[in-house]
Amino acid sequence: MVEVNELHKDYRVGKVLFPALRGVNTVIQDGEFTAIAGPSGSGKTTLLNIIGCLDSPTSGTVYIDGTDTGTLTTREKANLRKNQIGFVFQTFNLIPVLTAFENVEIPLLLLDTKTDENKDRVVGILEEVGLAEYLHRKPNEMSGGQQQRVAIARALVKRPSLVLADEPTANLDSTTAREILELMQELNRKFHTTFVFSTHDQLVMDYAERIIGLRDGMIVDDKRKETPA
Amino acid sequence: MKILHLAWRNVFRHTRRTLITASAISVGLSAMILSNTMMNGADKMASENIIQYETGHMQIFAKGYYREEGIFPLDTIIEEPETIIQHVRTHRNVAGVTERVKFQARVNNGVDELPTLAYGIDIENDSEVFRIAQSVVDGAFLKEREDILIGTDLARDMGFAIGSYLTVITKDRYGTYNANDFFVSGLINTTHPLFDRNAVLMKLEVAQQLLDLDHGVTEICVRVRNSAQLASAQRDITALIGAKYEVYTWRELNAAIFEISGFKRLSQFMIALVVLIIAAVGIVNTMLMAVMERIPEIGTLKAMGFRNNSIVQMFVLEGGIIGAFGSLLGCIFGVLMSLYVAIQGLDFSQFFGDMDVGYPIKMIIKGEIDFLTILLVFLFGVVVTILVSLWPVRMATRLEPVDALRHV
Ligand SMILES: Nc1ncnc2c1ncn2[C@@H]1O[C@H](COP(=O)(O)OP(=O)(O)O)[C@@H](O)[C@H]1O
Ligand SMILES: [Mg+2]
Repeated sequence: MVEVNELHKDYRVGKVLFPALRGVNTVIQDGEFTAIAGPSGSGKTTLLNIIGCLDSPTSGTVYIDGTDTGTLTTREKANLRKNQIGFVFQTFNLIPVLTAFENVEIPLLLLDTKTDENKDRVVGILEEVGLAEYLHRKPNEMSGGQQQRVAIARALVKRPSLVLADEPTANLDSTTAREILELMQELNRKFHTTFVFSTHDQLVMDYAERIIGLRDGMIVDDKRKETPA
Repeated sequence: MKILHLAWRNVFRHTRRTLITASAISVGLSAMILSNTMMNGADKMASENIIQYETGHMQIFAKGYYREEGIFPLDTIIEEPETIIQHVRTHRNVAGVTERVKFQARVNNGVDELPTLAYGIDIENDSEVFRIAQSVVDGAFLKEREDILIGTDLARDMGFAIGSYLTVITKDRYGTYNANDFFVSGLINTTHPLFDRNAVLMKLEVAQQLLDLDHGVTEICVRVRNSAQLASAQRDITALIGAKYEVYTWRELNAAIFEISGFKRLSQFMIALVVLIIAAVGIVNTMLMAVMERIPEIGTLKAMGFRNNSIVQMFVLEGGIIGAFGSLLGCIFGVLMSLYVAIQGLDFSQFFGDMDVGYPIKMIIKGEIDFLTILLVFLFGVVVTILVSLWPVRMATRLEPVDALRHV
């Protein structure tokens, strides 16, 4: 569960303070499939980064599973990310010299799991995202959609409680985007992993159970769908 | 483990860049190895020349004779060499003993006169210690009392050939000048440039007579079986022959030459070091580029919970692999070049002619490979690359994950 209270984030641009988040309050329940929707510059990335402990707010608090992340040290934040949070990026951010298998394996290297157990988990999750045949491909030998599937597998392989995806479909064509969203939806239902993803695309919003509308750093809208597509 | 694997993969991201960086390191290191081989070779040749033609392993003088290099007094000589020679021969490490009279003399061809260093040598025993007899390239070794051996270079400079007459002008032990005619019986060509240009050799008895020395000699020269135990032989013999005499090793007698060599060694090493510094700049540059182009990746790894330590490890290993590869290449090239120089020799006479470089070797240098140095040079290469890659890598750790991720 993620709880965000009175979150403010000001960026300093030269001498001017630019408010990217201006008092965001929300609660995201375990297992939710939530979209943060808003035009470019509305503060989506900033919000996801703060929830993901990659950035700290100017003021306000974020609780993840009851922990006030503002009180954590850099090392504790790294541990929290390592154990509980998976990231999916707009630009996939795979390590180009590693194969699909090796990319997905990376998060497990930080955990104290056994190598053969790791192997099963990596192969399992890559099958889950439909890439059983592509284990040994390098990123540049795969399409954008396939790369994003690898990135999703990498985010999920350690069984995090929360996956944060910043515009995961923005670099994909609409057919591929649909496939990726269906995949995320399926994984969300299967593993009960909380998904929070940002988008400015109507198509993406169609898949969300809940859409939090963000504009100029404030929540302007919070809708739940009874029956998601 | 996996970090190493990742580093290994990263090394091959830019094969060309890796190769260029590694070759820069290898050029630096192979230059260091080659310079070391050459200096070792030059030292070894100089030592051998000194031992085989000038001094033997050790020389015995009357106490007070040896003051400094290049001075050959006749007022402090060994009056009765025979008994000393007997004593010295009893030492188990002694392979050969011979006596010599060394003196300054001017050689005249009827037109020109040149200062030379003359030797009266014991033709029976000289070969126990020296290689004069083996160096006669034309004519014959000393036999008659008017026979004289001269170096090929001196012969050329003065226009002498086998059978030429020459006059030796010298002062005897009481300061009286005298001149004697000799007959060039043989030409010698050694590996010692000064010897070939500057030495004349006659029979011991002739020199003794010329200088009015009776049976006296200026020095007794000793060759040992095992030169590693030279110092203990020196001690034993000093004790054996008593306080009226002094024993010097060839190294003590030629300290100045090996001081020059130490300096040359240092300056050659400095040149090689400069090359290596250029290589180090190459590594810094390569690692800097590696860090810069991978900023988003560093951000991704940090987002996944990687610590700075692991990131540093990854890049340092990458630098270390490039460094080890370059060092290995450098050692291979260095050894190959050294082998060539050790087997073929390197002829410097094209560059310097017969210039006197103040070092008793000819212009063809045969290298001498020292494998311990090569190992040290390899380790040096790896350590230097790792140390210099730390600096650019620290930049990667200073990046906040958000900034790294936003960086496109
Ligand atoms: N590091 C930064 N420095 C200054 N301004 C920033 C920085 N990051 C984001 N901003 C500004 O904050 C606002 C919100 O940015 P962002 O969270 O990236 O929005 P979104 O992801 O919705 O496009 C934008 O106006 C952007 O220009
Ligand atoms: Mg954004």
